[in-house]
Amino acid sequence: MGEFGSRIVQNYPYVFALALFAIGVYTILTHSNLFKKVIGINIMEGSIYVLFIAAGNVRGGVAPVLDLANSDLVYVHPLPQALMLTGIVVSVSVTALSLALIMKLYRSYGTVDAREIARLTRLGNEVGADVTSGS
Amino acid sequence: MANKVAIVLLVCIGLVMLVAISELPLYGSPDTPAQNEVAERYVHGTLGDTGALNMVAAIVIDYRAYDTLIETTVLFTAVIAVFMVLKKGSTGKGEQG
Repeated sequence: MGEFGSRIVQNYPYVFALALFAIGVYTILTHSNLFKKVIGINIMEGSIYVLFIAAGNVRGGVAPVLDLANSDLVYVHPLPQALMLTGIVVSVSVTALSLALIMKLYRSYGTVDAREIARLTRLGNEVGADVTSGS
Repeated sequence: MANKVAIVLLVCIGLVMLVAISELPLYGSPDTPAQNEVAERYVHGTLGDTGALNMVAAIVIDYRAYDTLIETTVLFTAVIAVFMVLKKGSTGKGEQG
């Protein structure tokens, strides 16, 4: 247990990423507001960024910008940072698309609550009334 | 009730992940598998290969330029999809008639 604990303490950025991930999953699972679900997805993405950047870190390393005057510097791994740039673009795309879909849902149902939307859909199916978007 | 189930689930998954974290290479140690010849190549070859001082910019724009190109396609697709979803006359009420 002692060794386990000390390894956990030394790997604290990964623990931080795990905590962020858990917060994101919890947000998605427990909130029925669709905007809050999107926020949860973004928190999870943030935890992945933390994990990757931390995995590329090296003790005493500096940012991966070449310093020609000082040749014995240690640089952190530049590849995870470049990959996370790609990840940020994907995350922005996903967020934009989901927000657009939520706007459309709001126009159709007048609410952004997932449970309420499910209830309205069920109601529409039972009554046969056109509560849903006419499809 | 649902909140409690979610918390119990997350604690179980979190404990498993904590065990995995304890098995990971130590944070910041210079001899992790991540600090292999790939990092070496980028750190020492960037200036000769691309002429750039910023390694991240060199990777994004030069070494992995195709990745960045397809990435702009992803962004473009997302923008087109947003416009398709939000275009006028595509609201639920508008299509009923």
